[in-house]
Amino acid sequence: MRLTISHETAYHYEDQVRASIQYLRLTPHDSERQQVLSWQLDLPRPVRAQLDPFGNILHVLSLEEPHSDLVIGARGLVDIDERREAEHELQSPLPFLRFTRLTEADEALRAFASQQCRKRRDRSALIELMNALNQRMAYRPGSTAVDTSAAQAFAGGAGVCQDHTHAFLACVRSLGVPARYVSGYLFDSNSQQMASHAWAEAWLEDAWYSFDVTNQLARPERHLKLAVGLDYLDACPVRGMRRGGGFEQMHAKVLVTPTLNAQQQ
Amino acid sequence: MIRTFYDEMYAADGQVRPHYREFARWLAETPPELLAQRRREADLLFHRAGITFTLYGDEQGTERLIPFDTIPRSIPASEWRVVERGCIQRVKALNLFLADLYHDQRIIRAGIIPAEQVLANDQYQLAMQGLDLHRNIYSHISGVDLVRDSDGSYYVLEDNLRTPSGVSYMLEDRKMMMRLFPELFAAQRIAPIDHYPNLLLDTLKSSSPLDNPSVVVLTPGRFNSAFFEHAFLAREMGVELVEGADLFVRDERVFMRTTDGPKAVDVIYRRLDDAFLDPLAFNPDSMLGVPGLLAAYRCGNVVLANAIGTGVADDKSIYPYVTDMIRFYLDEEPILKNVPTWQCRKPEELSHVLAHLPELVVKETQGSGGYGMLVGPAATRAEIEAFAARIKARPAAYIAQPTLSLSTCPTFVENGIAPRHIDLRPFVLSGRETRVVPGGLTRVALREGSLVVNSSQGGGTKDTWVVED
Repeated sequence: MRLTISHETAYHYEDQVRASIQYLRLTPHDSERQQVLSWQLDLPRPVRAQLDPFGNILHVLSLEEPHSDLVIGARGLVDIDERREAEHELQSPLPFLRFTRLTEADEALRAFASQQCRKRRDRSALIELMNALNQRMAYRPGSTAVDTSAAQAFAGGAGVCQDHTHAFLACVRSLGVPARYVSGYLFDSNSQQMASHAWAEAWLEDAWYSFDVTNQLARPERHLKLAVGLDYLDACPVRGMRRGGGFEQMHAKVLVTPTLNAQQQ
Repeated sequence: MIRTFYDEMYAADGQVRPHYREFARWLAETPPELLAQRRREADLLFHRAGITFTLYGDEQGTERLIPFDTIPRSIPASEWRVVERGCIQRVKALNLFLADLYHDQRIIRAGIIPAEQVLANDQYQLAMQGLDLHRNIYSHISGVDLVRDSDGSYYVLEDNLRTPSGVSYMLEDRKMMMRLFPELFAAQRIAPIDHYPNLLLDTLKSSSPLDNPSVVVLTPGRFNSAFFEHAFLAREMGVELVEGADLFVRDERVFMRTTDGPKAVDVIYRRLDDAFLDPLAFNPDSMLGVPGLLAAYRCGNVVLANAIGTGVADDKSIYPYVTDMIRFYLDEEPILKNVPTWQCRKPEELSHVLAHLPELVVKETQGSGGYGMLVGPAATRAEIEAFAARIKARPAAYIAQPTLSLSTCPTFVENGIAPRHIDLRPFVLSGRETRVVPGGLTRVALREGSLVVNSSQGGGTKDTWVVED
């Protein structure tokens, strides 16, 4: 499947921002599942790309001139191999065993994980865990905040894709299986819509496998990966700080068009 | 059980050891009133100089003076040379270990350290993976904590590779002794230490590939317990003392805000933990760091001393492997001994620890400053039981060691002079070469019988002499 993506994030600040700096993870890279044919960022000033600690493509945008608006644009063309499920990697998955503040497994999460999986650590066990978590945590926008931890969201019984992913990571790591956070885009073929999304990957034997708790999907057919990390904070598309600015309004717009891929027909 | 201690000043037969003879003679000749007066003078001077530290866990968050004892800890030069070589050897191996861990991981592939123990460790920083550092040095400033057992042999208690502190006390204690008792320094050859700030600056400068890099000291601020030391070292080196808000990053370069406009910064001697360095990469709530610093660092545009991720090498769960590291990387036998250590993460060692708690010292692998530890022989039955429950809940978080006797040194106490337990922290500087100023910081446990020398737990300090013998 070939996708044309256009993603624009616009910030408007109530007061002038004196200076700001953003870590942007808005550029996908090639992998076994996805091939980036073209990609470009539209930023207020040119910025060099670098790799972040997790191998994601990172742009650091620093602005010292006063501004009250900021528009970050990303657009490109990507091929997704819908048949491929696993992604191999040379780096050790062991660092993804550790917990973070957002993915700490409390007693409730540990108990939930071990009740669901018992002694099993295979893909089907984790798929059952994914489905059970989806049942346990309703998808309810507004029920959690950006800094809500897995344990808090699980206790509240609701959340968004970020919370579903964090809860899944906490459970899976408590079982001794390395797992990581993925941020990216999800293409909805019914509405021809694409949205920023988050899901998880777990290391089984020799590769990373996807688990989208929110959509109960274990096959990442419609998922375009932007970045990975231990949790949301490592992988989120935009993480920034500013001096001044007061209240902020943010509008995000994602457009996607599937293009016929001649090679796959 | 009768415990015997090695005393630094007196041999078992009560004779004064040769390297203390000059001091003992002086002590016997000096009237007690004069000594008492000088000690009061020292207290006053330290108060005026503002050499205090903040006590964590104290309700009032009060600043307190670290008690200074006027009886020095003295080491014969011949003995010191062995300790010095041992510290240099150890720090070299630890730096090689860090370089290996963040690159090829030969030591894991050789089966010497289990992969999970380092890679799943919180202190292992993915940000360092594959990053090349100038001179391959990760820990530019290291503190090696040493104690002596009942037979006088030195043991390494722990390595400090994150932000080892205390060197300002080493320097100030010496200044104080020279001021109060100049006659002692005229009567014998005591190795000088006042060149430490120069060596430190030289080490920091040599950590950068630039010819004349600009260096700053980054402090968490004046509410930090070691703020005095940060200000002291910046002043002694003649470089700027900055807080996170004084620095900013533009296009992956670090600048300092000055009244004359932005000034580029090349080397940051940071006295701030990894987690607080860059709120965009680590703890997002950190108000102490510099947004964008990690990106600048990973581009090679600024040096951090010490590097990020050194904590994985001084973690107490890694400590048992340091002697193997020395053999693996240097192909040498360790000069300094490690204290035998049981790792509670291993089930068979855990059961041994739980069965022998009254004899052992148990420490948290992540703990420091003497917080969260159990000294078995000094603990009550209830304390031991409470601690056993904590170990059982999180065994991987604890290690245990036999209770070492810790050598003693005569110390002024309320009713005269009495032996008190001490340790030693030499400071190792790694740059173009690896160097140690003679001696280090001697900490003394002022409470009778106490083996905990940390200043936060009622410890004091002594001037440390290396005396030509």
